[in-house]
Amino acid sequence: MLPQRMKKAITDNPKKLANLIDLVNLPSTLRDFVGQSQISRLGCFLHVWSYIKTNNLQDTNNKNVVNCDNKLKSILLGKPRVELAELPALIKLHFPKEPK
Amino acid sequence: MGKVPPSLRSAISTTLMKKQSSLVPVESPVPPPKPHHFPKKPTRKTPSQLSRKTHEDIPIALFKTPNLSDAKKLFNSVISTTKAPVDLRFHNSLLQSYASISTLQDSISLLRHMIKSNPSFSPDRSTYHILLTQSCKAPDATLASVHQTLNLMLTNGLSPDKFTADIAVRSLSLAGRMEHAIELVKELSSKDTKPDTYTYNFLVKHLCKSRSLSMVYDFIDEMRNNFDLKPDLVTYTVLIDNVCNTKNLREALRLVGVLNEEGFKPDCFVYNTIMKGYCMLSRGNEAIGVYNKMKEEGVEPDIVTYNTLIFGLSKSGRVREARKFLGIMEEKGHLPDAVTYTSLMNGMCREGDALGALALLGGMEAKGCSPNSCTYSTLLHGLCKSRLLEKALELYAVMKSGDMKLETAAYATFVRALCREGRIAEAYEVFDYVVESKSLTDVAAYTTLESTLKWVKKAKEQGHAI
Repeated sequence: MLPQRMKKAITDNPKKLANLIDLVNLPSTLRDFVGQSQISRLGCFLHVWSYIKTNNLQDTNNKNVVNCDNKLKSILLGKPRVELAELPALIKLHFPKEPK
Repeated sequence: MGKVPPSLRSAISTTLMKKQSSLVPVESPVPPPKPHHFPKKPTRKTPSQLSRKTHEDIPIALFKTPNLSDAKKLFNSVISTTKAPVDLRFHNSLLQSYASISTLQDSISLLRHMIKSNPSFSPDRSTYHILLTQSCKAPDATLASVHQTLNLMLTNGLSPDKFTADIAVRSLSLAGRMEHAIELVKELSSKDTKPDTYTYNFLVKHLCKSRSLSMVYDFIDEMRNNFDLKPDLVTYTVLIDNVCNTKNLREALRLVGVLNEEGFKPDCFVYNTIMKGYCMLSRGNEAIGVYNKMKEEGVEPDIVTYNTLIFGLSKSGRVREARKFLGIMEEKGHLPDAVTYTSLMNGMCREGDALGALALLGGMEAKGCSPNSCTYSTLLHGLCKSRLLEKALELYAVMKSGDMKLETAAYATFVRALCREGRIAEAYEVFDYVVESKSLTDVAAYTTLESTLKWVKKAKEQGHAI
């Protein structure tokens, strides 16, 4: 079980929250995909997820899997098929922790 | 089991507070403040009602700019064209409308202009109260502008009365200027305009929210010693409620002692408040003790008492007794409401009897009590905890068709249950619904989803049972 306090800690922690909602300057690949030069990690996730939904990219037999089109492939490590479960982790790769 | 859904807690405490404030007019009805229209009535209302009232009372958003000369021109044209009687009420409405967008100095100038251009108009207290409210609302480092308005009243032969004090204190408190509110109350008290019990209790209640207990006690002592203003039963209820909320039950009991010493007989609200304090700490025995004491003293329990008791017993895992009180409550003619049933369901879910709780949902609907989103969230949470995912999905469909909101805990548990079963797409769908229905912020919803996925992945990698 996920401990209660851990769940709470994420939204209470200002650094983790900032990491999620702060606008970040995007690398060119991602910039082409979202059509903006800046976006937050959360915004990016929402964008990708709505892109998957509007283009019906979920596999008809297994909804947990996304069949990437070329555009999506370009930002998700070039994988042809991606599990929905890995989506947050894959997107996080574009948002590395800022070096101090 | 997780903690009690926060909305359930607030449901209990708000009903309690609502009852408390509704007690006020019953205790000693106030004579109607003024015979005529009064833009901001100092009636006994909760702050939220009060502020809503102000907005409703702005008749028309007549004044578009805070510019004074435009306002004067507009006033002149309105006066010459209107068919409505140009009376005090009319002037007050105009002034109120202008005051909502202008500065105090401009409002005063407009009032002067009104008096000059229409000699039959003589402003009374209600007119100055508009200006007073405005001066209290504006952020200010001193009370200078408030004093200015009060002096303006005085020079026009109107001394501040208890309604003036009430309006000023409420406006100052709501604007977060507690220090100023206290300062003004002391000042007015020393000038023979003592606040009445409502103003006093309002101030104490707001002090409790923002200041330490010892400061509140200092204030009460000072008012008692210097101005002979004594706390009444409502004041003690407010204090007891406050210390109970900070889980300081020892102090609550001391206050009950003081209350008895001062010759007050605790009423239903005091008992309810103490009982709530015990229930918050899951001390069922003491809660029942309070109930028995009420019966001994001949105080008739009301629906809040029963709801609190059932909530507390369910919380401390004594569902059987809680059910017994549901029966007693019905016998005494109190109709159980959604709060009652939800508390009970929460208790049953805690015991792992989610199916029983689901059956109770049918029972409550059969009795004509409609469940709310809190009821459904509690059940959803319980069903997921008991690993009855199919039932949970059915319930979720019902919630969705009724546009009901999910609570944080219910959402997190539901998403976890779905991810555990590998139904990630459905978890995403729930995420969408939660964001769409504005049950949670997208940040909260996403962090839960992300951390759950991470947790499932890790657990699978390490071969843990999930």
